[in-house]
Parts: sequence; structure tokens; C-alpha cells
Amino acid sequence: MKFVSHLDMNRFMSRLVSRAGIPVWYTEGFNRHFYMNFAVPLSLGFEGLYEVMDFKLTDDDYSLSECLERMNKVCPPDIEFFKIGEPKESMKEIAFAEYRLRFEALSDEFAERLTGFLSQKSVICEKTGKKGRVKEIDIIPKIKSFSFDGNELTLILNAGNEDTLNPNLVLTAFYAQTAAPPVFCTVTRTMLFNKKLKPFE
Amino acid sequence: MDNNEFEKLLLSVQKPGRYSGGEINSVIKDKTAVDVRFAFCFPDIYEIGMSHLGMKILYSQFNSRDDIWCERVFAPWVDLEALMRERGIPLFALESRDPVKDFDIIGFTLQYEMSYTNMLNMLDLAGVPPRSKDRTDFTPLVVAGGPCVCNPEPIAEFVDIFFLGEGEEVDLELIDLYKKFKKSGGSKAEFLREAAKIEGVYVPSLYETEYNQDGTLKSVTAQNGAPATVKKRIIKDLDKLYYPEKFVVPFIDIVHDRVVQEIFRGCIRGCRFCQAGYIYRPVREKSVDTVNRQAKCLCENTGYDEISLSSLSTSDYREIEPLLNKLLEWTTEKRVSLSLPSLRIDNFSDELLEKIKHIRKSGLTFAPEAGTQRLRDVINKNVTEEEILRTCKTAFAGGYTAVKLYFMLGLPTETDEDLKGIADLGQKIVDLYYALPERPKGKSVSVSISVSTFVPKPFTPFQFEPQITVDEIRRRQEYLKSQITTKKISLSYHDSATGFLEGVLARGDRRLCDVVEAAYKKGCRFDSWTEHFDLEKWLEAFEDCKIDPAFYANRTRDFEEVLPWDHLDYTVSKDFFIEENKKAKSAKTSPNCREKCSACGAACYGEGVCFEKR
Repeated sequence: MKFVSHLDMNRFMSRLVSRAGIPVWYTEGFNRHFYMNFAVPLSLGFEGLYEVMDFKLTDDDYSLSECLERMNKVCPPDIEFFKIGEPKESMKEIAFAEYRLRFEALSDEFAERLTGFLSQKSVICEKTGKKGRVKEIDIIPKIKSFSFDGNELTLILNAGNEDTLNPNLVLTAFYAQTAAPPVFCTVTRTMLFNKKLKPFE
Repeated sequence: MDNNEFEKLLLSVQKPGRYSGGEINSVIKDKTAVDVRFAFCFPDIYEIGMSHLGMKILYSQFNSRDDIWCERVFAPWVDLEALMRERGIPLFALESRDPVKDFDIIGFTLQYEMSYTNMLNMLDLAGVPPRSKDRTDFTPLVVAGGPCVCNPEPIAEFVDIFFLGEGEEVDLELIDLYKKFKKSGGSKAEFLREAAKIEGVYVPSLYETEYNQDGTLKSVTAQNGAPATVKKRIIKDLDKLYYPEKFVVPFIDIVHDRVVQEIFRGCIRGCRFCQAGYIYRPVREKSVDTVNRQAKCLCENTGYDEISLSSLSTSDYREIEPLLNKLLEWTTEKRVSLSLPSLRIDNFSDELLEKIKHIRKSGLTFAPEAGTQRLRDVINKNVTEEEILRTCKTAFAGGYTAVKLYFMLGLPTETDEDLKGIADLGQKIVDLYYALPERPKGKSVSVSISVSTFVPKPFTPFQFEPQITVDEIRRRQEYLKSQITTKKISLSYHDSATGFLEGVLARGDRRLCDVVEAAYKKGCRFDSWTEHFDLEKWLEAFEDCKIDPAFYANRTRDFEEVLPWDHLDYTVSKDFFIEENKKAKSAKTSPNCREKCSACGAACYGEGVCFEKR
């Protein structure tokens, strides 16, 4: 599933609820489609352990547990829906995401260089926006915390509609600045947090 | 290949979803619990192969048997191919990711001639010798089916077994024979001799070819008890035929990403340029109930919200309106849209237009194929200008503003007059729009004219005809362009060189095997992709093999000449094609199968339109 882009994921979900046969709400416009929203899109190549999506049902009395069961039944093994419920917080409350970067091999030297890089006051790098516009941003204020454990680096980064930092950009900036030889790593998003750093619900 | 290595590989290429597998409804089995592993290869990229209905049918059908595991294989795009070669990763199947060379049977579906080099490239990437004679072990067997197999001679030395016609029955008969031989430990040579006894199975290595002084074919002789001619297989009763209940639903966007529901096979029309119109004869329909039930089941199991009715000419389905009514009973409520490709102008009723208007308003597409009535009569495309204009009028009044027209350039007997006719017809449609009081207000009309290059194909009345040269194709394209004077008409045409090579391969003989191999060794692949097609390399390959491509593309064949596909029996007789060719030259049309039987020969199966009450 990690090789499915965000756009393809949207289509996948639309077909999934259709196979599940649950009464979901469709938009009313000319091109009526299943209305659904992912809290924070997940980049191609990343895994996610705590992803949030939201959609509407047309029947208020429809059993949510049945909904969950039906969705899991028509799902490929790589995805599991683990919880369903009325939203407690608005999607806008999402402020941070936690990423686990698992390096194929992490030497002490590499970890030191990475620590040094992340401990700087400011790192300006170029970010390409949606419309292809390149702007310069400082990534350091967007990094809430980082920690090492064995071959893994855990990053808590700004996330959400307003201000998002992709861990790939952190790595790109690191390699660009230090010219360190690249080490293959897999990225997993392990949690989405609200402004108080509590798991978003 | 371990998971980590696989991930690394996929994260370095474009669209990794092409190779990741794991889609909804893909089939995973225990490989130790099956007798036959079948690698179903489509010699093009995932997005194209996954859109192909035949592969969906056979994939599901093979996997419906416990003793067979059928997996999908597509041509890796050039970026992945480069990495695979660099890292020594062999071609793998999507489901198990196991190397293709470890499979029992490697099967290719050959939908267009320009995919031949991809087939060789895939065999090479798999680590399987491309030539049949170099594969002395019993496994893997290399088999192929699809429309190109009606003249498989240019690839006959690479493939062990060809399936002629529809595969649902004959493929499984061959797999059963394979199982028997695998258990008893027979040799490949014995197996091939035995396989040749199955109707619809063509084993090219059992046929000896001889040539005349002038380079034409002298004879093709069957050896070792193989039949002198091989007759294609058809399925007699489509209502009883296996049809998948599920399609694999891709994660990534593919060319035709929807439920494809077959409604009939064959075509009653007999357009003289159209190979599909002859090789799939006779017309056999599915009943309204079967179509409705199968389409509904597929929607439920895939979650698709679009159904496309599939056939060579949708409006020739006898009960099209009852069918649409039945489908609309549930599709509207489920928000499933219907699309009806391949409609004909002449039986495109107001009621039908009214129905599809409810379904989806997209552009209208028609295929007059030729610009003048004379030439349309030559090719037996029995539509008239009045019919075209009348249909456009109805469509414009119904709110349509875009019309797409398909034509062919280089048809036998074509003159500049006929080409001018294409531009004139486009202009008449534009004029018609502006003369219509009820046209959509404030909107401009758009007429797109798409012109492909005519390629004479085997098993058509034009199989004897020369193709016009590349220079002449270009001249005619330029002339046509000069005849179009309004911006309301947009013109697009195919690359002239591609059509030329397609023409050579379509009517080639066995001597072209060397050329195909040489071209692939020079790096030719994805020949149907304009950005990869390299005519220069192909011409070098012809030169290296001392073969003149014009001999195959631009030469007129006598009716008496032995054609490379004469020993393959698609049941429509050569005499019929000769008669049709003569009628074409005098611009005489032939009736369609429902009007009057022309005794083409396809009635030999005892089924289908040949036995409908007229």
C-alpha cells in the first residue's frame, strides 16, 4: 500500500466503501462522488500507522461497528481500519506528526552528523509548492523534536493544513548540506498529534 | 528478492504501483499446492495490460481451478528495466514476485504487432532463451494467443505453441495435457506433437516452409502428424461461458479503469479493412439476463462506478434498448454510469441517444473511415453522408457540441478527391451546427478528425493489397492538412513510419523472425510508443538480415500466391476474400450478416448469427 499515491488512495477508498455497501454521502454537484477527506496526505513510499479519514453517512442510525466490520472485510491485508467514531476534534487541530525513519545501517558518525545538522539554529532550504513555485523555508522551527534509537530516528514535525514539513525534505537538506553518503531508509508515520501533543482523535 | 531489496527497487522508479501487486481481487495461492504455474504476460506496461478484457477473463478462469495458479506479468518500463539489468534482477510475476523462468508455462497475449520486441525483451529479462529451439527443457513452455496469432509467422521461431481463436476452452485443454506430461515425464518434442492434435493449437516448429525464386512462399508443410491446417476455436454458447465475477482493481489509474462487460463477440458488418470483423466470426450474443447479472456482480465485487459495454459494434446488439432499460433499473440508484463505445451511425436511434444522454454527456465519436461515398462503398462501410449529418443534427439538438470522427488514410483506390472528402465532411458538420436554430447557445462546435494509416491485414479482403509508401503517406497527410481551412476542425494523424512497420509485420513470413530478433538486440522495444519507436534501428535490422521490408508492405499479392497464413483456418475462406476484393474494386457493397448471408464459411460452427431467423 505504501506505493499508492494520495490521489490513488482517494479512488481506492471510494471503491472500498462501494464494495462494503455502506450508506455513504455523495456530493450533490454535477459530478457526484463519494465525499471523503484524509487528515494529512501520506507521501508515496511512506507507511502510516495512525491515519485519519473522515466521511459522512446518510443514515444516522447506521451501526458504526458494522460499518467498521464491513470496511475491513473488503480491505486488502495491508490496511486495517481500527477505529470509527464521531469526530472529537476538528481536522484543523492537527499540528504535529511523528515519523520513524529506519535506516538500513546507522553508523555513529552518521548519527552524529545528523544530530549536528538537526541541532542548528536555522536551515534554509528550497521547497517546491503545489504549483511548482519554489520558495525558501527554514526547516528547523518546524522540527519539534528528534531522538535516536538503534537504527531509527524519530522526528516530530509540524503537520496539518497550515504548516507541514515532509521528512524527505529534512533528509534532502541534510545530504545537501553535509554531503554525507546517502543511506537507504524507510519512513513510517506513527502518530498524528493535536496542538497539545496528544494523539488526534 | 527479499522485501527490503524490492522496496528499494520500487522507490527508485516512476509509478511503483505498476509493480507492487497486492491489488484487490488479485489471487495469491500456495505454490506448493498447485500443479501448474502460469505466467500470463502482457507485452506492454501495466496500465495498458490491465485494461485488457481477455487477460481479466483468462486470469480469473485459470485461477478458478485449484490446480493452477495464474499470475500477471507486464513489461517493466525502461526505468525499471535499467535497474533490473544493473542489479541482475530477473523478470518477476506480480503476485508471488517469483522469477518468471521458474513457471511451468509463460503465456503472452499478442494484441498488436508492435509489441513483438517487448515479448523478446521480457523473455530475455526472465533469463529464458528467446528461440524455441534453444529451450530444450520441457519447462518453461512459451505459448501465445490473441489476434496477432492469425499470422504468427514473424514470431514463429520464438513461441512453442500458438492458440488460434478464443482461449477459454483450448487453453485449459493444453494445460491438462501439460499436467499429464509433467507427471509422466515426457519430452518437449513428444509433448508438442501431442499438443498439435488439439483443435486450435498451432505448433510452428512442426511446419516446414519453402520459398520460390521470387521470394514468395512456395509451401508450408505439416510434419510429424501435425494437421495440414489448424482451425481456430470459438466458444459456441456465450451464456454458458465462464465470465469473471471479480476483476483485479488496480491502485493506480489505468487506461480503462472500469467494469468491462462483454455483450457479444464478432461483428455482422464485414468492413473490408477490419481484421476483427472477420477473425471473430460468427457473431454470438449474450442474453440480456446474462449481461445484466454479470455486470451487476462485477460492480458489487470491484466497487467500480462505471460500466462499459464491450463489443465490436454496440448498437448491433439486437436487444440494446431492453438491455439498457434493465441496467438502468439499478445503475442509476447505485450511481453507476454506463458507457457505450463502438456505436454505429446508421442505427443510432433517437431513443438510444436519449438514453445515453441520461447516462453521460461526453463527446460523440463516429467512424466514417473514408471521406467519400465511393470509398466507403469500397471498404464496405455502409454508412451514408446523410446518416452522419442526421446523427450529428440530433446530437447537436440534444446539447452536444463536440464530435470526433475517425478516418483512415491510404485505403485501396484512395485518391486526393477522397481525402478532400474528409475535410469537406468536417466542414459540412461545422456548417450544420451553425445552421441549427436549436444548437446550444453561445457555444462553439468542435470537430476532431483523427486519421490513422491503413494497414492491410491478413484475413481481410485487402490482404492482397499493397500498402502505400511512407513518402506517399506523408504527402497525403500534408494534402489533407491543406484542405482544412477552419479552426473548428482539428486534425491529428498517426506516425507514418509506425504504420509501415506494422504493415510489414502483419503480413510477414517466418524469415522476419531474424529481423525481429535483430531489432530487439539493437535495443528496439516499446515500438508502439512514439518516444521509443526507432525506425532507423529497424531498417538496420532489415539490412543486416538482407530482407527488403517493401516486399512485405508495398507489394501486391496475386490471388494465387501462397500466403504465410494460408495453413491457419479462421473459417472465412480465401475464395470469399477474393470475391470481396473484386467487389471492393468495383465499389460494390456486401450486405451485413443479418441482412443476407454471404457464405463466408463461418457457419461451419453451427452457431451464432448464421443461424438466426432472418
